[in-house]
Amino acid sequence: MNIFHYPELDETVYRETLECGLTLCVVPRKGFTKKLCYLVTDYGSVHDRFTLEGQMYSIPAGSAHYLEHKLFDMPGGRDISAEFAGLGAMVNAFTSYDMTAYYFTCTEHFEDCLRLLLDFVYTPYFTEESVQKERGIIDQEIGMNLDSPDTVVFEELTKCLYRTHPIRNPILGTRESIREITPDTLHRIHRAFYTPGNMMLCVLGDVEPETVAALARQRLGTEKRPTAEKIGPEERELTVSRKLTRRNMEAAMPTFCMAFKAAPFGSGEAAIRRELAAELAAEALFGESSELYLRLYDEGLIDSSFGGGFETLDGCAMLLCSGDSRDPEAVARAVLEQAGKLLKEGIRQEDFLRMKRGSLGRRIRGLDSFDSTCYRLCAYHFSDFDYFRFPEVFREITPEETLALLRETCTEENWAISIIEPIHQEENP
Amino acid sequence: MIETITLSPGVTLRCCRDARFKQGAFSVQLVTPMAEATAAKNALLPAVLLRGTARCPDLRAVTRELDDLYGASLSPLVRRIGDYQTTGLYCGFMDDRFALPGDRVLARIADFTREVLLDSPLREGGFLPEYVEGEKVNLISTIESERNDKRSYAMSRLLETMCRGDSFGIPRLGRTEQVEAISPQALRTHYETILRESPLEIFYVGSAPAEEAAEHFQRMLAGLAGDRKPLPPQTGLTLGEGSDTVETMDVAQGNLCMGFSTPITNRDRAFPAMQLLNTLYGGGMTSKLFQNVREKQSLCYSVSSGYYAAKGVMTVYAGIEAETEHAAREEILRQLEACRAGDITEGELTAAREALVSSLRAVHDSPGAIESYYATGALSGLGLTPEAYMDALNQVTLSDVTAAANTLKLHTTFFLRGECQ
Repeated sequence: MNIFHYPELDETVYRETLECGLTLCVVPRKGFTKKLCYLVTDYGSVHDRFTLEGQMYSIPAGSAHYLEHKLFDMPGGRDISAEFAGLGAMVNAFTSYDMTAYYFTCTEHFEDCLRLLLDFVYTPYFTEESVQKERGIIDQEIGMNLDSPDTVVFEELTKCLYRTHPIRNPILGTRESIREITPDTLHRIHRAFYTPGNMMLCVLGDVEPETVAALARQRLGTEKRPTAEKIGPEERELTVSRKLTRRNMEAAMPTFCMAFKAAPFGSGEAAIRRELAAELAAEALFGESSELYLRLYDEGLIDSSFGGGFETLDGCAMLLCSGDSRDPEAVARAVLEQAGKLLKEGIRQEDFLRMKRGSLGRRIRGLDSFDSTCYRLCAYHFSDFDYFRFPEVFREITPEETLALLRETCTEENWAISIIEPIHQEENP
Repeated sequence: MIETITLSPGVTLRCCRDARFKQGAFSVQLVTPMAEATAAKNALLPAVLLRGTARCPDLRAVTRELDDLYGASLSPLVRRIGDYQTTGLYCGFMDDRFALPGDRVLARIADFTREVLLDSPLREGGFLPEYVEGEKVNLISTIESERNDKRSYAMSRLLETMCRGDSFGIPRLGRTEQVEAISPQALRTHYETILRESPLEIFYVGSAPAEEAAEHFQRMLAGLAGDRKPLPPQTGLTLGEGSDTVETMDVAQGNLCMGFSTPITNRDRAFPAMQLLNTLYGGGMTSKLFQNVREKQSLCYSVSSGYYAAKGVMTVYAGIEAETEHAAREEILRQLEACRAGDITEGELTAAREALVSSLRAVHDSPGAIESYYATGALSGLGLTPEAYMDALNQVTLSDVTAAANTLKLHTTFFLRGECQ
């Protein structure tokens, strides 16, 4: 395996791409008992159209997540969770807009756990009956999200920002769309995107890197399988489809999510540099050290629930902020005004350096978290970038490029706001 | 592993030296009895302290100071630990080895924490009214926002109803009307009282040796005199009358909460058996509740049980379709009956034991987990290191687990359901 050292972060990483195409990444953490292992595919809820073996497919919203649930089924009624539990390990999975991850944590029996993970993720086994049965469970999961203002406020915002991009669909799909999902749908997705070449195996913990490589080779062999071609997702149009959406829900107080729609960043080092610069732009505009945050906080227009940043995913990029407020539209106006002011006045070198120092320090501290580090290593890998190179990219970012990003992004035409207002005001004096 | 140093009477520093992490962390907590009269004040206090110091008089100045300290975080820490409520600060900061040569982050953040704790700007014998009023609005909004998370709302309502008459029935952050009534002077007076009379607990984890950490924290608290009274010991739950409540809201999903009482607390010998029972009954994907209520009957997406060991309360939560309430209740109770009857497989027992042992083994893998285990353990009366706790878990037999299950009594239920169903 190839060894990479990152003295600035006190990290070492072992990497290799196996013959079958699977990317391996092992971060040995000497002296730690916990081991975390992610097996991730570069495929999520927004990848709803693709070409496989010359044929084009369009699949129902929520399919990626449905597959994530059903992949735990094994022939012969084997119970994967119980097998992990028997090894003292915990297995779980999640689906995001552009990734699906299966992972386990353990303190012992790492090799057995890894074998088990590779085994179930690469064994698609779905029956009509078991797919039917899962609906009741996913219906309840959808119900839980429908009752969560934080989820709804964001999902509604995506419908304002985008006209056609599949980010408009909830990751879980809807109670209607999931009824169209069949065992065939799930088999097709598995064949299309659960190819080793489209996946990454990432391990953090005190393990032997060569063992990880040997076990993966043993299970996957050397055969390369072609991955399906994603169609889109993209949306060229930069203006928003609606400026405002308003909903009433069981909520304690009005909550909002506001975003500026930006051109997608693409991938590679240039894209990551833009992303890090964009995060600094968000910090300068409405971060806790900004003039705007202080003013709105003092005026009682925002509270500690307020926060924001830059979000990017396949074919989407947005500068967004969200939180509770008694007057969300006043917050939106203030953000717009402040962007204009910041662009006119610029950022002082001294303030910029302090912001960078704070941001860099928080990222370094974040490396103590196995989960967030594993997640980032995978997500950045699928954007063709080595996450542990962030300090050097960070250092080079200038105030000018940060401002240039704000200038491109913060315009009158491309922002929108989603607001949730409480019902039953009389019960909340 | 943990070194305990008494800095002055009633002021305890616990240190865990560990150089593997990229960050250090410490908590500073004043420990008070959980009480209606002070719960809201304790909850409000740290947020007001963090609004500004004499030298850094606003949030922006405070954030700039923290950015300059390599993005250190200093946040309010308000915990309920059995009969106690703690109020104070939690700090996370980057380790010196990543800082500019010669820069000492712990020394600087300890000094800044001193400013936050002891050098607040004051007016007319109180905190600045604009700080207090602003943070009151925030705290009220946090308290009311619990309504947004239907599960946690329903669970709080269950505990409030079930533990009426016990300190455990007091909401952790106090009540809206109690927050509204706090004046800048009353809050300051309360702070001065607890600063003088309440036990002060500091927990530090990071690369510095204990003696060095002690120096920094001595300096942080220099000049702080006090006559600190020890707190009354933790008690089990005082049981009132049970109830069965249904509340309606405009929600898509029904939230069923059930509360059980047990005399077993974390001060008991039977505690590891109870913890094991809770885990195999409703602790994860292999638990009886998950396997039966969710996997076999598809009645829900989430179902789990929780054990509040400092008090001896076990709860069950299920997010369900309102029409299936009866079926869900029955299945939840049937699974508990199975535990009571000893209808537990070797596999279930092993899985639960392994899960607990595994999480205890991993306690030492993150500064946050270390702080949380030891700082709350010391106060809740759990006198076990993770290692001793693991040993105890390995001794638990099937009959210990069924004996623990047989102490549980269903006391109160709370069901939050949709209106038009």
